[in-house]
Amino acid sequence: MANLIEKLFSSPIFTWWNSATFGTRLYTSRKGVKVGEDKEGNIYYREKDGKRRWVIYKNGPIEASRVPAEWHGWLHYTVDTPPSEQPLPTKSWEKDHVPNLTGTAGAYVPPGSQRAGGQRAASSSDYEAWKP
Amino acid sequence: MPKLTIDGQEVEVAPGTTVLQACEEVGVEIPRFCYHERLSIAGNCRMCLVDMERSPKPIASCAMPVGEGMVIHTNTERVKKAREGVMEFLLINHPLDCPICDQGGECDLQDQAMAFGRSGNRYHENKRAVEDKYMGPLVETAMTRCIHCQRCVRFTEEVGGVEDMGALWRGEHTEITTYLDKVIESELSGNVIDLCPVGALTSKPYSFTARSWELKKTESVDVMDAVGSNIRVDARGNAVMRILPRLHEDVNEEWISDTTRFAYDGLKLRRLDTPYVKKGKSLEEAAWGDAFAAIKKKLKDVKGSEIAAVIGDLADMESMVALKDLLGGLGSKRIECRQDGTALEAGVRASYIMNTGIAGIEEADFLLLVGTNPRFEAPLVNARIRKATRKNGLKVANIGSAEDLTYKVDEFGDDATLLKKVLGGRHELSKALKAAAKPMIIVGQGALRRADGAQVLKAAHDIAEKYCVKEGWNGFNVLHTAAARVGGLDLGLTAKGGIEAIKADAEAGKLKVVFLLGADEFDTSALKDTFVVYLGTHGDEGVKNADVILPGAAYTEKSGTYVNTEGRVQRTAKAVFAPGDAREDWTILRALADVLEVKLGYNNLGELRARLVKLAPLAATLDTLVPAEWADFGAEGDVAEGGFGPAIGNFYLTNPVLRASKIMAECVEIREGNAEEATGTHG
Ligand code: SF4
Ligand code: FES
Repeated sequence: MANLIEKLFSSPIFTWWNSATFGTRLYTSRKGVKVGEDKEGNIYYREKDGKRRWVIYKNGPIEASRVPAEWHGWLHYTVDTPPSEQPLPTKSWEKDHVPNLTGTAGAYVPPGSQRAGGQRAASSSDYEAWKP
Repeated sequence: MPKLTIDGQEVEVAPGTTVLQACEEVGVEIPRFCYHERLSIAGNCRMCLVDMERSPKPIASCAMPVGEGMVIHTNTERVKKAREGVMEFLLINHPLDCPICDQGGECDLQDQAMAFGRSGNRYHENKRAVEDKYMGPLVETAMTRCIHCQRCVRFTEEVGGVEDMGALWRGEHTEITTYLDKVIESELSGNVIDLCPVGALTSKPYSFTARSWELKKTESVDVMDAVGSNIRVDARGNAVMRILPRLHEDVNEEWISDTTRFAYDGLKLRRLDTPYVKKGKSLEEAAWGDAFAAIKKKLKDVKGSEIAAVIGDLADMESMVALKDLLGGLGSKRIECRQDGTALEAGVRASYIMNTGIAGIEEADFLLLVGTNPRFEAPLVNARIRKATRKNGLKVANIGSAEDLTYKVDEFGDDATLLKKVLGGRHELSKALKAAAKPMIIVGQGALRRADGAQVLKAAHDIAEKYCVKEGWNGFNVLHTAAARVGGLDLGLTAKGGIEAIKADAEAGKLKVVFLLGADEFDTSALKDTFVVYLGTHGDEGVKNADVILPGAAYTEKSGTYVNTEGRVQRTAKAVFAPGDAREDWTILRALADVLEVKLGYNNLGELRARLVKLAPLAATLDTLVPAEWADFGAEGDVAEGGFGPAIGNFYLTNPVLRASKIMAECVEIREGNAEEATGTHG
């Protein structure tokens, strides 16, 4: 029983945060025109005869920070040509896009935290104990 | 007494006072860089300019003696302009590196530039740059910051008594240097760091480790020697970051010795942070309970007469009392505080303190040193003597090995029998002592450590009685080297035969259990087959033959009562916590007493102090000198021929904290290296 409830609640009928909802999928299949895909595999759509733009995330949660910078611009109407047509110039020192890791295993923990293995950085309060 | 007017206020001051001092007396603050109360007047920074009526230009108040009827103004437009001008000149060549300067936040130049300077800079040329100088392992330099106030030069020469610092070249090219990158060979060299009004001379060990405003300041007392210098312990988190002097006119004025200032890194090295119990041949970590149980097991079939205790040099009176009571509960009275084996006895207080007091040296007009080298045994006493020789023309004579004490000393040779001759009255020294109005004699531990120490003490007593003890003046002084010693003697912690008897009895198997309260200054190999309980802070001599080790707290980690060599009772304060499982010593003894089913009768520090005062009533007289009653002491008898040995080994290595310190090790290396160079092939 509990299992069933869990399943129900993780299905796209009831939740909108695990994957695109049925409504969105329906709308996408009726009106959506695929514009491009980013490195992660998220797919970007625009409305066939309107100006709406949206994204369907590939596997994983609906998390706005997964949209990389170049697509962010297009998605928010900052630019009109999608980066799939006209890639943004990238510099050699630019790092790859990383989504917000808060709440995940990859989240930042300060040095010395138990989650970081409990090993704190050296401090001036350290002392050297005598050993026989 | 000249009368003058300062900003409309009339004031009468002693003749010879300077205008700056007179201003201070009426509460008018004059900015200054080069002027320092304890140094000679240089008058070279010009920051102290004030207006004097009928004078065509502003005068340097620090160098101008007051005159009758002077009218001084310190708040006129011209003074303001003059200060701004001087400030601007000083800043021409001063780098603007306050954010990376260790002096930042406690810098006279910074403060005075804010208070008296202009807001903008009109100087667009390049600033001059000066190469940094090497001044040894203690003093870091950034000589571009130097404003040539010469305080450091005057200090090393006048107070330190060494001519290791000076200025080269002139005008804009002036450079302060130690000549040929020499080390400042003074035991007080660290004080130039405090004196330097800017960040040109800073502390090398402290450099870039903390900022002054993030430190927690605790007022405390030093235990590196028996002077009891007043110090301020600056800590961040649980670490002592630096130690600075605190003003105490009668003890250390405003100086401290280098061991006091730089010992703190020893507090973090080689620390005992957990109890150990010997299992088989090796020491193993143990819980407190197990360590106590091991002691209890051993003590089960040991008689009271088979137990003894030795008190170390850094022990506070509270833990001594606790140990005394604990031993008393176990049926033993054998507790010894003279681990260096000197012949002092506890009965007469006048026999083991510096009756004249440290400040009293300045009143004396003749001083006889007997078997002591104050320069290393108590650098601040030495500084006082030097001050008295310079200021009051104090004459110093020495019976003992001839050393450079930084002032002129008449050497009479290293022979103890001289004391009897002086007593005889025909000797040159007897005449000098007799002629003096306030003669002093300082007896060192080196003199009292001889086999005939008691006879030497008696001879010194007789000399003192004959010449030095007068109405309102007691010129008999014993100079101690250990911070705990006077406290121990005040508590009467002496045992018959002293440390030698304890060693002999231990070797003969007559002693079964010995407690060491931080006693590291004697050879513990005699205790090899005895059950040794060591309560202390560092893994040093005492732990070598220990069977149970109990980790205690160092002087910055507890509030403890200490009595300095002049009999002044002072208290340290807790600045940081003891490391790991270590605890304050008296609490350990209190807990151990519970396990051993001994009732000590106190549960907190207050009750313990009440007990302390009962045992040694003078412990209640914080920071006052109580004159000790003169009486007879020492032992009659002949004094053998021969000299006095040194009281301490290396100045930088006199206790476990110092021996653990890396900074001190570096000092030893460098100064010994220099000594070799001076006498060796280079000479
Ligand atoms: S180093 Fe410091 S104390 Fe010495 S002259 Fe320069 S500013 Fe003055
Ligand atoms: S304080 Fe007067 S000239 Fe420096």
